[in-house]
Parts: sequence; C-alpha cells; structure tokens
Amino acid sequence: MKQHLKKMAGLAVLACMVATPQSAAAKSATVQKIEDRGTMLCSGHNGSYFGFVEVNDKNEWKGLDIDLCRALTTAILGDPDKAQIVPLSWAQRFPALQSGDVDVIIKATGWTMGRDTELGLQFSLPYFFGGTQLMAHGELGISDAKDLEGGTVCVEAGTTIERIVADYLKTINVQHEMVSYEKAAELRSAYLANRCDAFAGWGPNLAVLRATEIENPESHKILNDQLSSEPIAAAMRQGDEDFVDVVNWMLAALLLAEEHGVTKANVEEVAATPPNPTVARLLGVTPGIGERLGLRETWAREMIAATGNFAEIYDRNLGKDSPYKLDRGLNNLWSHGGVLYAPILD
Amino acid sequence: MSAPKSDWLLKPLKQRLFRSPSDTLLTLLLGALLLYGLFVTLNWAIFGAVWSTEDVAACREAKGACWSVIDARHRLILFGLYPYELHWRSTLACAAIIATVVFSCLPFFWTAKRLTSLWILGFGTYYALMEGSLIGLQQVTTDQWGGLSLTLFLFSSVVLIGMPMGLGLALARRSKLPVISRGVSVLIDFIRSLPLLTTLFTAAVVVPILLPSWLQGDKIWRVILAFSLFFACYQAEVFRGGFQAVPKGQMEAGRALGLRPWQILSLVLLPQVFRHALPGTINMVVMTFKETAIVIIIGLFDVLASANAAFGTGEWAPYYMEVYAFVGLIYWTFIFSLGQYGAYLERRMAVVSH
Repeated sequence: MKQHLKKMAGLAVLACMVATPQSAAAKSATVQKIEDRGTMLCSGHNGSYFGFVEVNDKNEWKGLDIDLCRALTTAILGDPDKAQIVPLSWAQRFPALQSGDVDVIIKATGWTMGRDTELGLQFSLPYFFGGTQLMAHGELGISDAKDLEGGTVCVEAGTTIERIVADYLKTINVQHEMVSYEKAAELRSAYLANRCDAFAGWGPNLAVLRATEIENPESHKILNDQLSSEPIAAAMRQGDEDFVDVVNWMLAALLLAEEHGVTKANVEEVAATPPNPTVARLLGVTPGIGERLGLRETWAREMIAATGNFAEIYDRNLGKDSPYKLDRGLNNLWSHGGVLYAPILD
Repeated sequence: MSAPKSDWLLKPLKQRLFRSPSDTLLTLLLGALLLYGLFVTLNWAIFGAVWSTEDVAACREAKGACWSVIDARHRLILFGLYPYELHWRSTLACAAIIATVVFSCLPFFWTAKRLTSLWILGFGTYYALMEGSLIGLQQVTTDQWGGLSLTLFLFSSVVLIGMPMGLGLALARRSKLPVISRGVSVLIDFIRSLPLLTTLFTAAVVVPILLPSWLQGDKIWRVILAFSLFFACYQAEVFRGGFQAVPKGQMEAGRALGLRPWQILSLVLLPQVFRHALPGTINMVVMTFKETAIVIIIGLFDVLASANAAFGTGEWAPYYMEVYAFVGLIYWTFIFSLGQYGAYLERRMAVVSH
C-alpha cells in the first residue's frame, strides 16, 4: 500500500512538472528565487538587539532571530551558512522587504493589523510572545503582582506600558502608587535607588537589564504576571502563500522536534528508529513533509541537525544558556504552560 | 640677574591670572575644578581601568573603565561584519584610503593628472581588496563591509565626488544662460531643503521599488551618489561665496589682457576662489565626516553601528561608555587632523597671497 502511494505521489510530481509552472506542486516563487540565487536574504539589525540579533566576537551574527533565519535557510538550501544577513534599521525593514532586499523579516516584529493589511504583509505563526512585565526587588520576597499591595511602581511616562500597568493593577485590585519618569535611564536609577518597589517594562528588556546592568541579578525578581503580550512573527510579502507555508512549517517543525525530544544531538539516532508516526513524518522517514512544500524530504532533519529544536535555540539566545536567563514563560510549548503550538503534522 | 629670565613666563601669568584678589580666586577655583576633572578622567580611563579580555571578571569590581571590551571587540568596531579571517584585506584597504587622502593633501600631487591617477589608484585598491573577486580573492559583498573602513570609504568617496560636482554646480550657477543658472539654483535649493536623511532613505530604500533591477546598482553606490549630490549642493554655495569675493575688475582685466575664458577661470579666478572658500570647505568636510554616521538608519554598518553592536551583547552591555569613548577618540583623531591640515593650508596660502 505504502509503495503504491509513493508511486502515485511520484506520478503526481511528474505530471506537475510536465504541466504549467503555476501548477507545479506547491513550489513557492520566493523559494524558487532563493534557490536560484543560492543564498537566503534575512533581516539583520543596524547594531544589536539584545538576544534577538547580536554580533559575536568573531564578527558573526547570532541571536534568536538569526538562528530562525539559519533554520529557514537550512530548510530551503540545506546549509545554514547560505543565510545572508542584511543589516536593516527598524524604519527600513518593511520597504526593504517590499523592494526585495530581503526575502523575509525575522526581526522581533509584532503582528499588527496595519502591517497585515495596509503594508501588504503576511505573518507567520507567532514564535515569541513578549509583553509588559514587572521586576521587583528580591528582598521583598514576592513573585506575583498581587503581593505589591501598597507598594510603589515606577513606569516610563506616556507609554502604553503606563496604561497597561494601571489597568492591570486595578483589575486585580492592588492599591499602589505609580511614579512615572521621563527617561528609561532615570527610571532604572530610580528603581535601583529603591525609590520604587517594582518597575514595569517589556519582558525581554527587563531580563537583559537584570542580567547586564544590575550588579547582583539574583537580588531582583521578574514577577510571574504577564500584563500584556505582543505576538512576534516572521513577516513576508503578500501574494506568496506557499512561502508562508514554508515559514510556518519551519517553525512548526522546530516546535514538534522540541515536543518529541528530537535535538541537535540525537536527530540522526531518532531518525533511524522513529518512536512514533509524527516523528517519522517530521524527519522524512515517512515521505510527505518535503514534497508537499516543494522541498527535500529531509529538510526538517537537516535543519534540526544544524540549529537544534526550538528549546535549544531559545535557551542558547535568551534562556538559561544565555547571559539573560529569561524564563520560557508564555514562550513554552502548550504542554508546558506556554502558548506555542505546532499545527498537526498529518 | 635671574629675574628677567623668568619674567617672560611669570609676568604675563601674574597679569592675566592673578591681577586682583577676585581674579586670583577665580583662577584658583577654575584651576581646582579643571584638575579635579582631569584627575577623575585619568582615574577612570587609566589608573582604575581593566585592560585585557582575560581580566573581564575584574571589570565588575573595577572603579575605572573596562577596556577589555575594546580588546575583545575592536575588530568589530573597525571592520564591522567583514569576515573575521579576511581582516587583513580590510586593514590594507583602510590604509589605502588613508594614504590616498594624505597624499592628495600634499602640494606635490596638486595637478589634475596626478590627483586623478592617485584617486583611481587609491579607490581601485580599496575596492579590489574589499570586494576581492577582481584580484582572485574570495568575494565579499558590500553588505558585509563595515566599521571604520566603511566610514572612511563613504567619507572619502563623498568628498572626492562631491567636490568637483560642487565646483561644477557653482560654475553653472554663474552661467550667463538663464536656463542653466536658474535650473541649477532650483536644484541646489531643492536638495538643500530636504534633510540628508530623506535623501539617503530615498536612494537606499525607495529607488529599488521604483527602478528596474538592472538600473539600481548596489545600495552603497546609490547612497554615495545621493550623499555626494547633497554635499555638492552645499559646497557649490561655499564656492559661490568664494567667487563673489573676487572683484569683477580682475575678470575684466583678464579679458583686456586677451586671456580666454577658461584661462581667466583657471589662472585668475579659481586660485582666489579656493583661498576664499577654504574655511567654509574645511567646515563642510569635517561635517561630512561626522554626518556619515547617519547611514546607520539605512542599514549600513558604519563605525557607530558596529560600536552599537560591540556593546549590544549580554556580556559587554554594561561597558557602553568605554565603547563610545573609543569611537569618540577615532572621530576626534580624524577630525582634528583634518582641522590641522586646514590650518596648514591657510598658512600656506597666506604666504602666497602676500
């Protein structure tokens, strides 16, 4: 039966190759362009964005977004080193995508309606959720915002964060005093000078601050409450749905690999004796994952061998193996209390 | 008879600094403040500083600067994203550009033929070394160029292309044909009324959307051309000031002597125009050097962008002061040298004019 199906699939591919290019099996025009060029053009940064896009001591890019680009490059071209990172500023990223300077934007970019519609973009599955969080002095011994009763919270004046914190603390009925500061640096020094019990900011930024600019990181606690959350996703040009599929399944494969314990180290071992049908399909032992995207059957296996699964990428750049020690929190798998999930690989 | 000997030093000092009790008080106060500032700076930069990458652990406790960050990341600041093992090429290319600029400052090279061949040689060497494929080395595309070597390249290309362009525009603006002079003055005013950022953003980001790909060229060239045009429009006005400073009578005298128009221009007008325009020109050049940092917005990895990347990683994030101090020193070195060269030129021309 299996053999029969394989033959059928082969025939279908053949038929498609004979037919007009438009109807060729789900081969994305962008992927075709990337293959012809031999390199994948990804977005970098004009400098560095902690944890997501950085440059190491050997003048090479690293970071969560860079690793995702390298994973995508491996999926399409089979070699992570074929990723070409184009430095872009924040303002430049969308025009650069439209003009074809980059193939995809993976650059801590939030999914908003304006970008999705007016700017003519398409977004992938969110791969990161970052939102407003609170950091408090460790000696208070608290781990949730509800324990801030009667305390002082510092925020940056005039930002959305100010409103979010006020709304949240009102909702959970915590009496507090809010002190706002004009500049981020003032805010930081006010907090460090014990002017306030806690202060609010974008989660990853708080973690970076705690890891880098505070002398004793252990004496500060990022509270568990997630006050707001912004979905971070890859952005692509409108009009190439097949490329969106490729990017989505690249992310899905990384999450599935994590869920099933497939890592950079054991991927070949697991591929030799897949523990269940999903893993067999994921690693291309049972065909389908490649052909349906117009890629190689082993793309996911090669990708995991090159960059590791999602947990490995996260831990290396933001999590426990990085200087930032950012908890997974929302950015964990659904099965571990997070909101990341992969579509079903059938 | 030893008093007169030390008089040349003590007397003016006494007159200028300690003339009255209030003067003395002010002198002592300001002197103490200056000394204190110097002490704090030196203490931070030298005495309390940690110097090497290996000692980075000591940085957390150190009272002074943590120069380890420069030790570890100076290659990033100097060469940006250029491949690590090919940095010798970037170094040589940098040297070629600096040499070209230094040589073009020497009076020996001040003939059109020598200057042109020097520039072609200098820029050819830079490009061949940086890009590589022309001389059989591994190719490095322009999006990987960066750091100080990119800043120097941008700066010198903009000045070298913009300077003759500015002179051309200034001459065109003096043209007797109203079509040309009006057209050029509209162009100059148009470009000058746009911010540099807009001009560069258009060249880098908007042009590729509008033009077909075979007309676009590399981003870096589009940026250099747009920047040069911007420079030229300002420089044209500096030159125009120089032209206006030359009395009309000299032109008429030249004509009376039977000189051809281009002879009047090159023998009578231009030498004086250059002299009059010199302070303004040096000003423009210095500003351009600093303004190259604006290309960070269009994603070119210049020295400031790579400095930003140098402290933009977990382990080096607390030491941004050191990185900025280092980059500041680089800028200061170049701009101070330019200023000194300008002063030398003015002295030299003063000798000629009298």
